[in-house]
Amino acid sequence: MAANAPRVPRSRGLSDRRAEMLAGLALIAIPMFFFLTLRIGAIGYAGFISLWDWGLRGAKEFEGTRNFERILTDPVFHKAVLNTVYYAIVWVPLTIALGLFLAVIINMKIRGQKFFRAAFYFPAIASSAAITVLWIFLFQPDGLFNDVRGFLGLNPIFQFFGIGPNQAWISTSNTALNTVIALNVWTTSGTFMLFYLAYLQTISNDLYEAAAIDGANAWNAFWKITFPLLRPGHFFVLTVAIIGAFQMFDQAYIGGGVDGSPNNSLTTIVLYLYRKAIADFDFGYAAAVGVVLFVLIMSITLIQRRFFGQTPSWT
Amino acid sequence: MTAQSPASVAGEIEDTRPAPATVRPAGDRGARWRRGIAYALLIGYGLLMLVPFAWTVITSFKTQPDAVSLTVIPNPIVFEGWNTAFTQLDPALPRLFLNSLIVAGAVTLSNVILGTMAGYAFARLRFPGREVLFVIVIGSLMIPDQLRLVPVYILLNNVVDLVNSGPTNYLSVVVVLAIQAESVFLLRQYFLTIPRDYEEAAKIDGAGFFTTFARVMLPLATPAIAAVAILQFQGAWNNFFWPLVLLQERSHWTLPLGLAQFRGLFQTNWPALTAVVVMATIPVLVLYIFFQRYFTAGVAASGVKG
Repeated sequence: MAANAPRVPRSRGLSDRRAEMLAGLALIAIPMFFFLTLRIGAIGYAGFISLWDWGLRGAKEFEGTRNFERILTDPVFHKAVLNTVYYAIVWVPLTIALGLFLAVIINMKIRGQKFFRAAFYFPAIASSAAITVLWIFLFQPDGLFNDVRGFLGLNPIFQFFGIGPNQAWISTSNTALNTVIALNVWTTSGTFMLFYLAYLQTISNDLYEAAAIDGANAWNAFWKITFPLLRPGHFFVLTVAIIGAFQMFDQAYIGGGVDGSPNNSLTTIVLYLYRKAIADFDFGYAAAVGVVLFVLIMSITLIQRRFFGQTPSWT
Repeated sequence: MTAQSPASVAGEIEDTRPAPATVRPAGDRGARWRRGIAYALLIGYGLLMLVPFAWTVITSFKTQPDAVSLTVIPNPIVFEGWNTAFTQLDPALPRLFLNSLIVAGAVTLSNVILGTMAGYAFARLRFPGREVLFVIVIGSLMIPDQLRLVPVYILLNNVVDLVNSGPTNYLSVVVVLAIQAESVFLLRQYFLTIPRDYEEAAKIDGAGFFTTFARVMLPLATPAIAAVAILQFQGAWNNFFWPLVLLQERSHWTLPLGLAQFRGLFQTNWPALTAVVVMATIPVLVLYIFFQRYFTAGVAASGVKG
C-alpha cells in the first residue's frame, strides 16, 4: 500500500482512503466469494475428497492414497489416458498447423479477407453439441461423407485402409477417435487462425523487405522470418491447445455416451472422471482422477514454459 | 517453387506499401499467380465450412427416407422434421429453447454485474489484498473447468440442494458459471483505459465511490460490458458439460443437452434432429453476424497482450 501512497492527491484525507478501501472490499466481496468457493476452494476440496471413499451420502471411510493406487492398476483409466494423449498428439499439431496456414493466407491482404476470417471462425463459436450431432449425421453409414467419396470414386483408397463403403465412422472402434479428431480440427482451427493473425500483425514489414533485398523467396521468408518471430504465438497457442486437448469431453460423450462406446474407444480422462462421479457416484475415485489430470496438465505447462523460457502472457 | 523477385515477396506477405516501380512488372505475375492459388484455397476451405451447415438446413426439410440420400433439393420439401421437433420431442423444441434462454440470460446478467464490480475494484480502488485476489482470479484461468466436477456437484447437491427437480435447479448451472475470470479481466483492462479525470470531476461534484461507479464509470464501460455480455451469452448458450451434470429433469434440459439425449433416442429421425441443430445454431449465428468484432477482438486481445 505504501508504494501507492504518492499517487494520492494531498487533499484526500485518511477517511477518504478508508471509504475507498471499504468500497473496494464491498465491490469485490461477492465475486470473490464465487472464486474462492466454486473455483479455487473446489480444487482443494477435490484433493481432500480424493483421500476418502466418498459416496452419494458423503464420506464413508478415510483411504489415504488407496484411490491413487487403484488408478495405477485400472485398465480403463489407462485406456482413457492413452486415448487422451493420442488425441493431443494428433489433434494439437493438425489444428495449429491448419490455423497458421489459414492465418498466413488470410494475412496476404486479399479481397474478402474479413469474410473468410469470419466464416472460418464460425464453427468454433457454434454449439459443440450441435456440431457433433451434425458431424455424426454426416459420417453415419449412409451419410453425406460416405455418399460423396463413393460418388467421387475414392472408395478404393479407403478400402486400402480397411474402410468399407458404408463405414459407421463414429460407432466403429478403429475410426471413432480419429473421426472426433477430424471434427475438432474442423471446428477449432479457426480459433488458432485468429490467434496467429493477431501475432502476425506484430511482425514488422521491414523485415520482409530486408529479406527480399537479400533474395529470399516467400517460402524462405516464412521459415526464416515469420515462423521464428511467431515464437511467443507458438507458446501461447500450444499452451491453449494442449490444455484444451486434455479437457476433451463434449464430442466424446455425444459420440459414444457415458461408456465412450464402442469399447472405450472414446473414453477420455474427463469422460472417465464424469462416469465415475455421475454414473457410479464413486466420488472419491473420481476426485482422484481429477487430481491426476490436474497434475498432468500442470506438469505439461511447466515443461513447456521451461522449453520456451517464457511465461504465459496474461498479466 | 521458382525464385521470386524481391518485390513480389514483400508485396505478397504484407501488401501495405507499393513496390518500387522498377521491379514491379516481373513481381506482379508471380504475385498474381500465387494470389490465385490463395483464393482457390480459401474458397475450397470456405466450402468445407459451409456445406455441413447447409446440408443440415436442407435435411431439416426432408422426409426421413430422403434424409439419407444425396438429394440437394429436398424431394419433397416437407415440414415433418420441424413439426416433430415442435410437438413430438420431450421436451419439445420451444421448451428447450426457453430453457437455454433462461440459463444463458441469467449467466450473462450475473457475469456483467459481478464482472463490473470486480473489474472496477481491481482497476481503480485500493484495498488490502488486491494483488493477491487478482492473482487468484487470473490463476483460475489455468484450471480446467471440469476438474471442479466432484466438489461442485457435492456442494450443490448436499450443501445447498440445487440439484433438484424444482425451478431452483436452473440456478445450479447459473451459480457454477456466475462469474468467469475472463469477464473480470476484460472489464478491469477496460476500466484501466478510462482517464481518471472523469472520477475526479465526479468527486468534486460530491459523488461517493458507489455513485461514481454506477453513474459515471458504468456508462463509460459500455463497449466492454457489451463484449462480456455477448461472449458469456454465447458460452452459456453452448455449454454442455454443466447442464448435463446438474439439470436433472427432462423439462429443464437446454438445447445442447436435448440434442445429445435425442441423438441416442431418435438416432434415425434426422429431419427432426437437424431441426434442433438449426435452432441451437441460429441465435449464436445472429449474434455473430451483428457483433462479429466482439468475438474476434476478444480472441485477438487474449492472444497477444491479454
